[in-house]
Amino acid sequence: MELGPTDLPKIECKGVTKRFGGTVALDDVDVAIQRGHVHAIVGENGAGKSTLGKAIAGVHTPDEGTISIDGVVVDIRSPHIALRHSITMVAQELSLLDGRSVVDNVFLGIESGRGLVLNPKSDIERFHALADEHGFELDPTAKVGNLSVAQKQKVEILRALAREAQVIIMDEPTARLSSVEAASLANTVRRLAATGVTVVFVSHFLDEVLDVADDITVMRNGGIVRTGKAAAETKLSLIESMVGRSLDSAFPRRRSVSDGTPTLLSVKGLTRNDVFEDVSFDVRQGEIVALTGLVGAGRTEVVRSIFGADSLNAGTMLLDGESYSPKSPRSAISTGVGMIPESRRDQALFIQRSVIENISVAHLDDMTTGGVVRLGEERDRATSAADRVNLTGATVDSLMNELSGGNQQKSIFARWMLSRPRLLIADEPTRGVDVGAKRGIYDLLANLADEGIGVLMVSSEIEEVLGLAHRVLVMRCGRLVGELLASEADSASVMNLAFGLEAA
Amino acid sequence: MNDTPQASETRGGLWAVIRAVNFADLGIVWVTVLLFILLTQTSDAFLSSANLRNVLDQQSLILIAGSALTLTLIGGNFDISVSATYINASIITALVHNATSSVTLAIGAGIAIGASFGMVNGFIVAWVRINSFIATLASSFIFFGVGFLLSERSIVRVVDRDFTRIARGRDFGLTNATWIAAIVVILFWFILERTRYGRQLFATGGNPEAARLAGIRVEWVTASTFVIAGAASGLAGALLASRTITAQPSDDFSFVFAVLTAVIIGGTSIAGGEGAVWRTLLGAFFIALLTNGFNLHQIDPIIQRLIQGGVILAAVAADNWTRSRRS
Repeated sequence: MELGPTDLPKIECKGVTKRFGGTVALDDVDVAIQRGHVHAIVGENGAGKSTLGKAIAGVHTPDEGTISIDGVVVDIRSPHIALRHSITMVAQELSLLDGRSVVDNVFLGIESGRGLVLNPKSDIERFHALADEHGFELDPTAKVGNLSVAQKQKVEILRALAREAQVIIMDEPTARLSSVEAASLANTVRRLAATGVTVVFVSHFLDEVLDVADDITVMRNGGIVRTGKAAAETKLSLIESMVGRSLDSAFPRRRSVSDGTPTLLSVKGLTRNDVFEDVSFDVRQGEIVALTGLVGAGRTEVVRSIFGADSLNAGTMLLDGESYSPKSPRSAISTGVGMIPESRRDQALFIQRSVIENISVAHLDDMTTGGVVRLGEERDRATSAADRVNLTGATVDSLMNELSGGNQQKSIFARWMLSRPRLLIADEPTRGVDVGAKRGIYDLLANLADEGIGVLMVSSEIEEVLGLAHRVLVMRCGRLVGELLASEADSASVMNLAFGLEAA
Repeated sequence: MNDTPQASETRGGLWAVIRAVNFADLGIVWVTVLLFILLTQTSDAFLSSANLRNVLDQQSLILIAGSALTLTLIGGNFDISVSATYINASIITALVHNATSSVTLAIGAGIAIGASFGMVNGFIVAWVRINSFIATLASSFIFFGVGFLLSERSIVRVVDRDFTRIARGRDFGLTNATWIAAIVVILFWFILERTRYGRQLFATGGNPEAARLAGIRVEWVTASTFVIAGAASGLAGALLASRTITAQPSDDFSFVFAVLTAVIIGGTSIAGGEGAVWRTLLGAFFIALLTNGFNLHQIDPIIQRLIQGGVILAAVAADNWTRSRRS
């Protein structure tokens, strides 16, 4: 086998397809990753970039297609098998033992020693050799729990190197880093590549990608748009390829909001220390306002504070012209504000309880006599709310965990339909929902707006933002960086704001 | 889904309770019925009314504390201090009855001390956010200590022997303790299935963050389950004082374990958010029938322990198995 290994790509994917239920996450993907290169994969949220990284790392097994390493087709069915082929992944959620030292974490499972007796001294020597080779500076005896996120990432990378990894896949490695830390990580990545390690860098931070990568693959809708040299790309060229699609007619007609319509919610200077700062905007009656931006820009945090779920450090809010400062979700609800939270399963559903109970839970006060629930009324009101959201193929007596994702999400809408809210906050309203149910949810949001309810929506899906909202607010790094009317917003202008590129 | 209003009105009370019983998950019912049939076949003494009345009376205190502790478990917490509360309540009931000769004050004092211990536990768990198992284990030791201080480390005897009638007096053939247990069971059953508080408790235990975002004051709901468990354990302790005419300080955890066994065997989830008072009722009867059967068949008490432990493990394993199959 004296094929010149440098001629062959380190990793080559051919026709890789991966489906999750009905959604195609990767669609016939062909990509070649060169040895010793930093290969970035970019794309919008949901474009499939993480899935591709995970397919190479053995976290997801492709349904179709092949992955070859050094020209040999391999079957990477688990992260364990990937490691045997010297591939490892540094995930967004780090998997370190906080209570143990750096050196213990690096050599976890491959400690020096004889039989059951460990040799910590030898591990320290190995650690220094490894750290020097790749230019890392870390105290081997420090407790991992006391390190910063950036340092923890270095520990995780060292752990990979200690296992003689030749390919390291990094999934959004800078998402939780400050800019200084991110720059330092970029250095680390360059040095790794210089020592012959191949790095797959999945990220949506285009500046960093352009700075660190040799090659860039742009993905859209689970497919590859192109792979090319980083030197040939600009931020603008990347954005254009990432969003290059037209809006289809998947959205209900938007009724315009006339200029004279009264303001429903007005927030000024909202600040939550270290999370978001000086956020001001209005929502008018019957208006759908979308708050968008990259994941982690502070959108969810802003709406949680408006709902009283998190506290504010500064800022004022008016609801229908009256001072509004909810101390808890309970007080927000009593003022006529509802929220559909970001994570259905963790923050909204009571999966062991019936649909009726899930719908009525926030408004039981209206349906009790002396603390006893009026069951007939509860059933009637919950049933009519379920009908309004068009809960199909399920009864109100079903347990929540028997419902599809779309019906679960509709049930949470029904929770707020029970009493007409003034303002409905919907955080990623269509996440994890199939295409048919998505349209149902869009119709619902549009109908609510038609009735004069203000809708404040958080969404990462740019199509949805452009297709539904009357006005688009863009956040970046905890600040509101732009406000666009539906008529003037397009994918490029929103993405430019979200990524921090000057208006095109 | 499209019920007419008329139909839904008739579907009020009883129907809702029947619906709340998940027929797919009735393991405890079948084993209890099987055990009952087995005992009727193998022992002549079993079906005698004296024996059955005795079984009911023996379970009454466990049922009083257990139906309340079911609420605590549904809320996602444990209360180990039920034993300490029970012992303290029996002491304070005996002391107050000796001092005042008032039955109302004596029993009220037992319930009150239980409720106040419960407030302490509830505060620690809901606001200080200490794990409930640890919090109530620690508070148990404090309460046990309080019991020794209250009783001046000796047995308290109730002077007026008529006080025994509170628990042992009979109406329609059953002891008052049995009747009181029946009322308490029905009360908590109703609270859990029919009231706003019950709904909020299931929500809080099942998903506290979702409950908060649905406007539920989760801290208050959590704390209240400890006050309820404390008050009910206090009532059980007061009845114990009446039943035995004495109250004795100790640091014996056996009562809470008997109570927890009934709740868990019944199938209330220790993970919170799932459970029912009727389950605890059956769990208590299952244990009672098991013990009664052992005694009727004169099985060595040592062997009884081995079997009882095995049965608890089997019950919980079967429960886990059916749950994981469902999800």
